[in-house]
Amino acid sequence: MNSILKDPQETDVRFAFCFPDIYEIGMSHLGLKILYGAINQVPYFWCERVFAPWIDMEACLLEQHIPLYALESGDAVKKFDFVGFTLQYELSYTNVLNMLKLAEIPLRSTERGEEFPLVVGGGPCACNPEPLADFFDLFMLGDGEEVILELLELYRDCKANRLHKKGFLQKASQIKGVYVPSLYQVAYREDGTILSYTPQDGAPAKIEKRVVQNMDSAYYPDSMVVPIIDIVHNRISEEVLRGCIRGCRFCQAGFLYRPFREKGIPTIDQQCRALCESTGYDEISLSSLSTSDYSKLNELIDTMHDWTEKDKVSISLPSLRVDGFSPELMQRINSVRKSGLTFAPEAGSQRLRDVINKNVTEEELLHTVKVAFHEGWNKIKLYFMIGLPTETLEDVLAILRLGKNVVDAFYEDRERPKGKGVEVTLSAAAFVPKPFTPFQWFGQDSMEEMQKKQYTLKDHIPTKRLTVNYHDAKTSYLEAVFARGDRKLGAVLELACKRGLRFDSWDDCFDFSTWMTLFSELNIDPDFYAVRQREFSEVFPWDHLDYGISKEFLIKECERAYAAKTTPNCREKCAGCGASCYGGGLCVEKRANLV
Amino acid sequence: MLRNVRIWFEKKGSAKYISHLDLTRCMSRALRASALPVWYTEGFNPRVYMTFGMPLSLGITGKRECMDIRLTEDMPLEKIQERLNLRLPLDLRVLEAAEPLAKLETIRWADYSYRMETTDSTLLEKAFEKLFSLEAVTVLKHTKKGEKEFDIKPYFQKMIFDARESSFLTAQVLLPCSVEGSINPALLLDALQKYSGEEPYTEICRNRLLTKDFLELR
Repeated sequence: MNSILKDPQETDVRFAFCFPDIYEIGMSHLGLKILYGAINQVPYFWCERVFAPWIDMEACLLEQHIPLYALESGDAVKKFDFVGFTLQYELSYTNVLNMLKLAEIPLRSTERGEEFPLVVGGGPCACNPEPLADFFDLFMLGDGEEVILELLELYRDCKANRLHKKGFLQKASQIKGVYVPSLYQVAYREDGTILSYTPQDGAPAKIEKRVVQNMDSAYYPDSMVVPIIDIVHNRISEEVLRGCIRGCRFCQAGFLYRPFREKGIPTIDQQCRALCESTGYDEISLSSLSTSDYSKLNELIDTMHDWTEKDKVSISLPSLRVDGFSPELMQRINSVRKSGLTFAPEAGSQRLRDVINKNVTEEELLHTVKVAFHEGWNKIKLYFMIGLPTETLEDVLAILRLGKNVVDAFYEDRERPKGKGVEVTLSAAAFVPKPFTPFQWFGQDSMEEMQKKQYTLKDHIPTKRLTVNYHDAKTSYLEAVFARGDRKLGAVLELACKRGLRFDSWDDCFDFSTWMTLFSELNIDPDFYAVRQREFSEVFPWDHLDYGISKEFLIKECERAYAAKTTPNCREKCAGCGASCYGGGLCVEKRANLV
Repeated sequence: MLRNVRIWFEKKGSAKYISHLDLTRCMSRALRASALPVWYTEGFNPRVYMTFGMPLSLGITGKRECMDIRLTEDMPLEKIQERLNLRLPLDLRVLEAAEPLAKLETIRWADYSYRMETTDSTLLEKAFEKLFSLEAVTVLKHTKKGEKEFDIKPYFQKMIFDARESSFLTAQVLLPCSVEGSINPALLLDALQKYSGEEPYTEICRNRLLTKDFLELR
């Protein structure tokens, strides 16, 4: 419902927005909805959706020789002008290549003549797209809603003037936020690390990410495609802010999306009304990296209640921080089913939480869960990471102690609901160091170390009220390889695609032993990327990409981490990360206060 | 003021692959988006009040399906059709909004038709003849308690073959369809496959819902 159909004869540029995972996941993605709306509001552009077919559908397509097609028109993806991938997680890279293969488009950009579409990408993984550099014509860095339109306008001009691809790419490389990998020559040192990136044909030495300055005037759709089948997040997503003030040192998104920019209450209110009218949804999720950091959250919800109560629309808040949860807030949102609450302390001991700059104390957590228990909740889920820098087995055991203390807090409450037990789930993910974070130099724990920590957790569960879950260390290892990978990994991905690997983030399809065979066949050591500790002096494959965060700042933060020193959040004190160069958001608001 | 209204709709084309649960969500969103003065349930978790006739199995086209809603303000019934159709996918069409004349619980039967594609319709009809000459025609029926063998012969004996072209065969049958128990028309195809190995590509369509006197529900 609400999908957009246009006459191909009357459109100049056709864009296939590809989400490299299944429909149910891709359709839950907000970025798709924003860019789909932004492109389609231009009459002569037509953006359509493409998802990765699940293995049964894939088999049918292959058997019937049907090339991958877009959902709106049913036309083959290879007939489009652009094939655009959103790169949300590293383990979707094989799906990207597999989708190109199913679309009958040659994988390497050098093998695609003028008759094939341009393959472009964006999203968080575009901050180090090097493993995919051989397959893409260009990447867009940072916020996409403006740069994608500039790119399509340029293409429209070039198409009218019959300019060839190479000419278009040269011009495109001059647009701020556009990275054309083929215009950069990479030289390596003998030890396999990067020596230099040399730009060619007038391409900029540093490619700056794009930033949408004003969230109130930025494009936001007033209608969204509503799936008829159920999907993962089947509700309205309203982005209330972009960026994050917290500066947790493990979190890539917290650095990539700086500066912190909020939408005003009237904007949010009006956008939500329009979306409710056009979709008929009865639930709005106020989404962002950390919605409880919205400066006037209570006022916003009160404003929206003027109409949401009458129209029977419920408001939900994802990603609550331990210190952002209050009874007042809970009473304001129609959280009807008191089933479960999730918090992310991320580390078990205070020392380690200081290392990662997760400024939450055990006291705050216990206070919050007590409030929640008192209000009738009895299921708490706590997210942790293992394999964090400086972590010892003592820190791992502290996760269990914290869990036990939460269980005890439930039984201390004499007015707890009768007849109900408490269930606390501890979920421990394996830490993956990412580019543009203070931990980008850190060598990931080996799989053996990771497994040892997981067994430690499993073997010491103190009470039946605690359940411990952890993820397979193997997928985190592979994720770490590609997160900080370079162009040499392109060959691995290409071979992986040839051998039929895809859906690596799905347990049903993940095949670790084949991956290891590929690495050894190609004589590439995955440990070089995942577990090797880097020097501060090393040149990284993403150093020519500029996300506004200075390397000096990241080094300083890294040193503070190892000294277990915390850094105040952006609202308390500017830490000088460099994002103020964009002259927008909280960086400027704070300055205004100082004057 | 509360007024009961019966919405008659068609579920065709790709919409036949929408499950009953997804259909209810889709209708609820359409009713909300069309800003009709619909009545909400009064529980802790208010929902648009909707009651469907009998759920339609996945993959079967519905020619004339129905659901009841309640209006809190009176309005011309044609407006309902107009406004809902703007908010529904193209393969779900409201045919009419009308005063309900009988309760939904009076539904006892449904009228189904089959259109089977084949290379030789005479052979296919013979296969059916052979099938129903058997003492019993058992297929596995999925129930809430698991799978069990079930004899479908009594239900399909009166099936009428009404059009024979060289490339297809059509048939009509009335099957029980009520809260007390329904027979899925697709069981016939399971039986055909089991006893004769034939698997013709078949479109099944539910044409009408009938009461105990074999009168069309209104």
